[in-house]
Amino acid sequence: MTMAVPWQTGNIVGPKNALLLTPENCARLLKAAKRPLIVVGANATKASVGLPNLADYVIRVAKAIKAQVAVSPVLQPHFERPGSLHVFGLGFEDVTNRLKDKQWKGFDGKGAYDYVLMIGGVYYFESQMLSTLKHFAPHVRTVSLDRFYQPNATFSFSNMDVDKWKEGLNAMIGELGGRE
Amino acid sequence: MDGIPARISIKELETSLASVRGLEIVLGKVVRDDWDEKMGPTPYPSVTTLRAWDHRLLQRYEPFYSPLCDMCCLCTYGKCDLTAGKKGACGIDIRTQQGKIVLLACLMGAAAHATHSRHVLDYLIKKRGSDFPISLGDEVILEAPIIRTVAGIRPKTLGDLEEVVDYVTSQIAQLLSATATGQESNYLDYESKALHAGMLDNVALEISDIAQISGLNFPKGDPNAALVDLGMGIVDKSKPIILCVGHNVAPGAETIDFLEKEGLYGRVEVAGICCTAHDLARYRSGAKIVGPLSKQLMFVKSGVADVMIVDQECVRADIVNEAEKVGTRVITTIDQICAGLPDMTSLPVESVVERLTSGKEHGVLVRDPAKVAQIAVKTALSIAPGRRKEAVSKDEQVLAAAAKCTLCHDCRRACPNDLEIDVAVNEVRGGSMQKLALLYDLCMNCARCVSACARQIPILDLLELASRERIKNERFKVRAGRGPILDTEIRNVGRPIVMGEIPGVVAFVGCSNYPNGGKELAEMADEFARRRFIVVASGCSAMDMARYSDENGQSLYEKYPGDFDAGCIANVGSCVANAHIIGAAIKIANIFAKRPLRANFEEIADYILNRVGAVAIAWGAQHQKAASIGTGVNRLGVPVILGPHGAKYRRAYLGRSDKDERWMARDVRTGRPLYVGPAPEHLVYVAETKEEAMTMAARLVMRPSDTSKGRLIKLSNYIDLHRKLFGKTPEDFHLFVRTETDLPLGMKDELLAIMKEKGWKPRDLPELGSTIVDRLVPKKV
Repeated sequence: MTMAVPWQTGNIVGPKNALLLTPENCARLLKAAKRPLIVVGANATKASVGLPNLADYVIRVAKAIKAQVAVSPVLQPHFERPGSLHVFGLGFEDVTNRLKDKQWKGFDGKGAYDYVLMIGGVYYFESQMLSTLKHFAPHVRTVSLDRFYQPNATFSFSNMDVDKWKEGLNAMIGELGGRE
Repeated sequence: MDGIPARISIKELETSLASVRGLEIVLGKVVRDDWDEKMGPTPYPSVTTLRAWDHRLLQRYEPFYSPLCDMCCLCTYGKCDLTAGKKGACGIDIRTQQGKIVLLACLMGAAAHATHSRHVLDYLIKKRGSDFPISLGDEVILEAPIIRTVAGIRPKTLGDLEEVVDYVTSQIAQLLSATATGQESNYLDYESKALHAGMLDNVALEISDIAQISGLNFPKGDPNAALVDLGMGIVDKSKPIILCVGHNVAPGAETIDFLEKEGLYGRVEVAGICCTAHDLARYRSGAKIVGPLSKQLMFVKSGVADVMIVDQECVRADIVNEAEKVGTRVITTIDQICAGLPDMTSLPVESVVERLTSGKEHGVLVRDPAKVAQIAVKTALSIAPGRRKEAVSKDEQVLAAAAKCTLCHDCRRACPNDLEIDVAVNEVRGGSMQKLALLYDLCMNCARCVSACARQIPILDLLELASRERIKNERFKVRAGRGPILDTEIRNVGRPIVMGEIPGVVAFVGCSNYPNGGKELAEMADEFARRRFIVVASGCSAMDMARYSDENGQSLYEKYPGDFDAGCIANVGSCVANAHIIGAAIKIANIFAKRPLRANFEEIADYILNRVGAVAIAWGAQHQKAASIGTGVNRLGVPVILGPHGAKYRRAYLGRSDKDERWMARDVRTGRPLYVGPAPEHLVYVAETKEEAMTMAARLVMRPSDTSKGRLIKLSNYIDLHRKLFGKTPEDFHLFVRTETDLPLGMKDELLAIMKEKGWKPRDLPELGSTIVDRLVPKKV
């Protein structure tokens, strides 16, 4: 595994950078997750992120790996659909603050999460939240599912264009056994 | 409190005990204390005096760190890798190092404001005399609430403020020494020191603003202060133009004085950028406000200004060079910004003017405001006609440069807001500037894209070209900074605020580093004013709120009255005028609740934390000064919400609503321990979106001592805003319901059903309010 240049080029964080994942590797990694949580940031539905139906991808991943989902409250209407998952609405920083507490039992009270997947956050803000977990939550492994390299995550995709990202997410979900 | 230098001289004295000849006794100051309020427990608090209060706050609102960097690079042991629990060579860990960095940021801010207050005071004492009275008008008797609460003195003259500045600066030096290697070693104590630095900052703000209101006769709490022009298009280019940039109004005010004296005011344009513009408009309503810091580079690059006077704070490091490129002459005026320019303070005015007009010098340092004024005016009058003729269009070159774009994305990747500059610039090649024009509102003019472009495309010039028509017509109205909140206003709103019947005070403060442009700020302010919150504003935020008009062409300041009252929007003025927003919270404790202010910080802060529903939104906070102002506000028990860039301050203060033990307080009458709920839930929170900030603000104005009616109104706003912005009832509303009478009537049944599912139980209300300070509970209980 190699390192990449952060999407925002000035975001050089130091000696500990995210390990690069391909979507296929990511699928293998996520299969090992026992109690994953997906945190979805407020940019998820914005054009600059690139996938107008990002919520569909998140739901497919969540179902495939049996992850709980926390979303920025502004996104709840995009996620709460009949027959879909229950999502928890809580601010990104508030979620991060709880995640760094090893004693926190999670949204369902069943215990701490071991993998936290982040997607769709405002890039620099998400980077800072990942930094908190990198430094203060050694019990959590973080994975950035964005198409922008996030050096503060434990694992991150490299920078890629929308088509490649979409292709990669589909491949990853396929590998996880998720349905279209 | 008066300070009077005294000298006793005895030439010759014969007594039975001794014979004395030539005895001279000099006293630096005789303190005449005619303030009948008893001295409180903490006059001029030292670094550790309020430590117990800080730790009590920090126990409830734990520091939440988001390191911007994995390393410590502060000494030659380093760089030290602080990841994965590793310590640096000095023994520091990442948490403590973050505390140190936060303290350093607060100290930078506090030092900037302390220096500012020293400059303002020196200038005004020289101009008006040490005995010049501090007067904020007939309706402000309680004129220095922060100084009274912190220092325990009641300053009456400009000279009285000197000892307060001395106190602030000496404390800053002590705090700074704690950041040296081998000093403070605990993160909570770094935070306590940061809170101290913030408090000192707030004192410095008050010194500056009450001095300049008194000495320069700014509006004294006038809700109807003049509506003044604001915008990139307001300057009359047919006249000589002097632009003032920064925060210290002295050279700009002297410029206006000189123009008036010479009968030239109105024939020469005086405009400002950033807080000095606010203060110029407070000095004379004819002064024009170009805009906030985010407009600095584009306006200076336009070359419109003939002379630029630079004072202090928030001045871009490249602005002198940019001015030189377009032929604008520069005068720097303060020790803090010499900009590599020759010091010509001691030269005759005419000699300096000759050097500037002839082009021998493009800029000079002159550390004398009165002299600066003469040089600026004479130079502007001399060079303006020639500069107008010299002006040539560079549009074709700028457009041609866009053709070099290779869509490498480096501009976007350098942009703090990840704006799609790449796509917009590339589109210019096809002949369209539509996408570029859309970036005008979102761009903060940092120019990192320009530096990043390997093909040297002048992106900011392109943006200006794409937006030129809009810039030309850009003119809005902002109310000149009114300064203090009147004691009469506090009497009117104190009770409804404390009882919760006015849902809260929302202050829009801080810089212009917004995630999505300034419009969001105006939208937030509009929403809260419509909901009959008290809305106040200052600094860049106060300007940006004015930069948008409604369907009737009115800015927020034309739409809403400028009172400190429900449903109004009050612009207090520049950054240093933030003192009046902070002061208003203190005055509520004193004027409404009769709490003694004098040297009584802890009790006042405890009162505000438990009863005064105020919150600040610093949506574009960028500067270290915003960090220090906000941290001072936190020490007083007022929460601050930051925009997403605020995460780069590295520290929030977060509560945990799910940990009941953190929300215990005591009933002030009975001393009984009491669960008061998460109110306010956080002291510093970074919101990712405008919508999150708004609902968070509606949540953070809740206080343990709200009456049921008050809590009902606050809860109603919170739930309604949440439904409006997120389409559903908030999942945590039940945490703020103490008894069923807190529930909004129209929603009661529906909410009760949800609460039943969540296992909600009613809880006791404090009888006369709650406190987190044990000594404030009567001893016999």
